[in-house]
Amino acid sequence: MDQVALDEWHVVAALESLPVGQEVATRLLDTDLTLMRSPGDIVAAWPAASGKALPVCVRYGHVWTSLGMPAKPLFDLPEFAEPDRRNVMAGSVAVHVSPPRAVENFLDLGHFAFVHDGYLGAEPHTEIKPYTVTSDENGVLATGCRAYQPRASLIAEEGFEVEYVYRVPHPYCAILYKSSVLDENRRDVIAIFVQPVEEERIVAHMLASVLDDVSSDDAIRNFQLLIFAQDKPILENQIPKRLPLHPRAEAWAPADAGSAAYRRWLSSRGVRYGTIPA
Amino acid sequence: MTSSWYPVASGADLVSRHVFHTALDGQELALWRDDAGLANVWENRCPHRGVRLTIGTNLGTELRCQYHGWRFASGSGQCASIPAHPGFVPSQGLRVKTYPCIERYGLVWTSLGEAEMDIPDLGAAAWRPLRAIFVEAPRATVAAQLPEQGGLALFLQPVSETQTVIHGLSADPSFSPRQHDEALTRLRDRIESAAP
Repeated sequence: MDQVALDEWHVVAALESLPVGQEVATRLLDTDLTLMRSPGDIVAAWPAASGKALPVCVRYGHVWTSLGMPAKPLFDLPEFAEPDRRNVMAGSVAVHVSPPRAVENFLDLGHFAFVHDGYLGAEPHTEIKPYTVTSDENGVLATGCRAYQPRASLIAEEGFEVEYVYRVPHPYCAILYKSSVLDENRRDVIAIFVQPVEEERIVAHMLASVLDDVSSDDAIRNFQLLIFAQDKPILENQIPKRLPLHPRAEAWAPADAGSAAYRRWLSSRGVRYGTIPA
Repeated sequence: MTSSWYPVASGADLVSRHVFHTALDGQELALWRDDAGLANVWENRCPHRGVRLTIGTNLGTELRCQYHGWRFASGSGQCASIPAHPGFVPSQGLRVKTYPCIERYGLVWTSLGEAEMDIPDLGAAAWRPLRAIFVEAPRATVAAQLPEQGGLALFLQPVSETQTVIHGLSADPSFSPRQHDEALTRLRDRIESAAP
């Protein structure tokens, strides 16, 4: 087993999806787990086979655990604590794909006009202008990403050029920050926390932390699920399912600078689970 | 085993603006006919992000990948356009992997490697393709039980190690296609029910 993946914190559930006082089965890194939520939002997790308690933290509305020894706390997402944001657990969807293919799709700008036609993109607005990508040991950051979006969010009534920042603070988690319709100085935050169930099976947990004073939680959730439902058939039709890390395994265009940096970062961190190492 | 020609579809399967999905020896294939009538046998995989081309769109002269709209030219498989970069001319190496394709006797034939043998010569009779019969059995198992009958030619497409498609051609007007179809369906049932 991949020690790097073992020693990470991994998401295993949205907290609100767990009934209090009732055991729930899930699966992480090929290992069957049992989760148990107690009153006061205390959650315990243990492998079904051993029963030995695992470390658990509850953050960003989700439950996280580790099968190894996490060297650091989970990454920071300070926007989650801003009092005027709507934090909506926007759905947990099982997908037959590897964890890093799902993250890479989340970072991808070039598919908006084809996969999310009429929402996050539309022909002829297909051009991806250059953007800036940096990475260090803590992750990958893509800034200055721009895309014309006919309906960038639930409350967007007309198309506009949306600016994005993408952050990958964890091998299987990514966060995007996109222009807010309500406040031009702030950004909506959408995160995907990928539960690595097996190397080619995931549950994608989504968090929307948005500025929206009109929509119901269900409406915000439904918008994210609609968008993700457009991605799912793409993800499930990628061959191979694991993400190839060799730089020449798949073709590149300049718009893919973010995914190139993500693949290099996975290689440099020694992440193997869900990948085809270079 | 793959260095020979195999039928992988009937020519009639490649209808206008459609992309047909099949496999040969476990290799997934995307088959499509362009508007000029040329049939293509391609690896079922966009070279960019690996998405199956069978969920893409046959535009008549190019096949467009569903994920990023990259377009690939009929015949060569050469990438013709990358919508994220409208002015950009894709390099010559950027192409879908293509396989040779010959249409003969109403069937579409291909080979995954350098074919050592030609497509069998069936003479000048008027051969009509029968409905393809999918069998859940290895090629060798099916081959051992094929009937020999004048005016009937049967060819096997090894889809995977455990799956085979029987492609039949008939040149005998005294048998209707339905009679052949019923006989081959009974053969399929016999083979599959005898499987362990």
